Amino acid sequence: MRVYLGVDVGSVTTKVVALDEEEKVLAGLYLRTQGRPIETIQEGLRLIQEMLPSGVEVAGAGTTGSARYLAGVVAGADTIKNEITAHAVGALHFVPDVQTIVEIGGQDSKIIILRDGVVTDFGMNTVCAAGTGSFLDHQALRLNISIEEFGPLAIQSKTPVRIAGRCTVFAESDMVHKQQVGHSKEDILYGLCDALVRNYLNNVALGKETLPPVVFQGGVAFNVGIRRVLEEALKTPIIVPPHHECMGAIGAGLLAKEAVVGRGTSFKGFEVSQVKYRTTSFECKACANLCEIAQLSTNGNVLARWGGRCDMWERTSVKS
Amino acid sequence: MRLGIFHMGNVSLAARTFLRELKVEIVIPPPNSGTTLSLGTRYSPETACLPYKLILGNFLQDLEMGADTLIMVTSTNVACRMGFYARSMKGTLEDLGYKFEMIVPGDSERGLVNLLRFIKRRANNVSWLKLVSAFRFGLAKLSALDHLEQVVHRMRAVEKTKGTVNRLFQEAQEAIDQAGTWASLKELEKEYADRLTALPQDPQAQPLRVGVVGETFVLMDPFASRDLESELGKLGVEVRRRNFASRWLRPGVVSSGWKEEAHRAALPYLKRTVGGEGWESVGEKVLCSQDYDGMVHLLPFTCMPEIIAQNILPSVKEDIPVLTLICDEQTGKQGMLTRLEAFVDLLNRRRQRKKDESLSRC
Repeated sequence: MRVYLGVDVGSVTTKVVALDEEEKVLAGLYLRTQGRPIETIQEGLRLIQEMLPSGVEVAGAGTTGSARYLAGVVAGADTIKNEITAHAVGALHFVPDVQTIVEIGGQDSKIIILRDGVVTDFGMNTVCAAGTGSFLDHQALRLNISIEEFGPLAIQSKTPVRIAGRCTVFAESDMVHKQQVGHSKEDILYGLCDALVRNYLNNVALGKETLPPVVFQGGVAFNVGIRRVLEEALKTPIIVPPHHECMGAIGAGLLAKEAVVGRGTSFKGFEVSQVKYRTTSFECKACANLCEIAQLSTNGNVLARWGGRCDMWERTSVKS
Repeated sequence: MRLGIFHMGNVSLAARTFLRELKVEIVIPPPNSGTTLSLGTRYSPETACLPYKLILGNFLQDLEMGADTLIMVTSTNVACRMGFYARSMKGTLEDLGYKFEMIVPGDSERGLVNLLRFIKRRANNVSWLKLVSAFRFGLAKLSALDHLEQVVHRMRAVEKTKGTVNRLFQEAQEAIDQAGTWASLKELEKEYADRLTALPQDPQAQPLRVGVVGETFVLMDPFASRDLESELGKLGVEVRRRNFASRWLRPGVVSSGWKEEAHRAALPYLKRTVGGEGWESVGEKVLCSQDYDGMVHLLPFTCMPEIIAQNILPSVKEDIPVLTLICDEQTGKQGMLTRLEAFVDLLNRRRQRKKDESLSRC
């Protein structure tokens, strides 16, 4: 049996999926990255191997997410794609006539506009994270509730309060004031959902035509409070597709399937989960720019280098 | 007098030549780097823009290196707070205990003439003839570099081995900096233009054309824009930029033809200057949408003129995608690269779709 792997390594979570020849999701994983992307990728590959029947052959692998290059080198990816393309490919797979994709993740939020199945425009958060999952994460911590309780509690609100939500700092102080005046937790939570959606629509979706069908994906789509506010704001039903939290990984898997047509895969095998990787960094002193170069190595062999303003180090790593 | 200058792409190189020709003693700070930026950020108001922070960082290094005079450009139209920057910087530096003089040429309508008059006085009262010829020589270097940069923008997209163009351009910058005569300058310009165009090209390359617009400083200084143009080149994109310093530094009649053209084009959407290059950014989208596959709009964080432009850009009826990127000392380069990659993907697919449509029509 041939499978295609998709790996999406985000800032907060790592997603790994395996698709079969018919592009059905065989297995999916959702892990916390916890600031250790390499270990998490290895862990993810090990776990997904356990979930798959023995003897499967990996015919292709694709990576996406903010650590896509790192993941690509570690796993031996056939395709390394940015999150926007991967999410669009994933969403189109489940909702072929989608015209608007709302994608809210841990650190990044995006809007993708499609017409006739082709991405025609996109927007991404620019200078702040007040329209992303980490905003909710922070405030949940502050209110001493788990992120899973957030949505269900928020929709119990009867009289929502308005929270200043331009950034987490403003939100936090405004929220404390609202608590002290005596507003209920539910109303404050709903107010936070409202603040996030307001920020998202004012910053990320600014000037974009949000036609239905609207697909909502990413980790934040778990939150029923956000879903409801978004529905009210866009005045259209919101579709939350199955595996919405893994959509980037599914897109990466689909792209990998496309990429290996007519050639073999460069996937390094599940054994990579046993390899010891070392990451180091140094300041390049070749010129006055003093770039910080990061390097990934195993057993003293440098696999890749990143981070220079010029391509000096990328070139040397190709040679070795 | 020891005159301290600040870096802004090719402009500082040209200014250096001009002052050297006049035998004015100058101080050149180290190239813009993280050090410059953290130095500038430390003494800047928090919401000051990136150009402010970089220039202040340069000035601090200048003064440490023994400069006693600084030149700070300013705008005569008051629509942008840049008009206040010279005074604010002067205050900051004086509070830190530095003794220096700051020349602010833009303080009157005749900014350039005032600047030249000042430099003439300080350069042992050289004749106007000598002064003007030195200025023209500096400007000629700037024009040569700007011309080469346009070739670089084209060649980066199609070069066979990525990085060759950048290395050759750096070599050209160093050689042009050293050039002492008009004849050698002309020769160098031609030599490097030829060498750049003769580089081995990728036969499969079909570069997209992306226009880069926005605030001048971040547009011209690769450090400020996180090497945006070079990164676009790596992704196989031919960069088109209309705003080059040599175009607006020419005194008198020929100076602002391209600007006026952009202003006229922007009129249905924006009727007056909003400071900075806001007006031009809108105009270029209207003017160049036929030529460009897409546009990247660059601005420093908190730049009011460009924020106005950013809000107008989507409503312009000429329909090409615009990616707005905000530059700040907090900007992470990886995030910028992700957005650029996605943007280039989007443009490629749009082009493919147009091709398919025109095929199905036949």
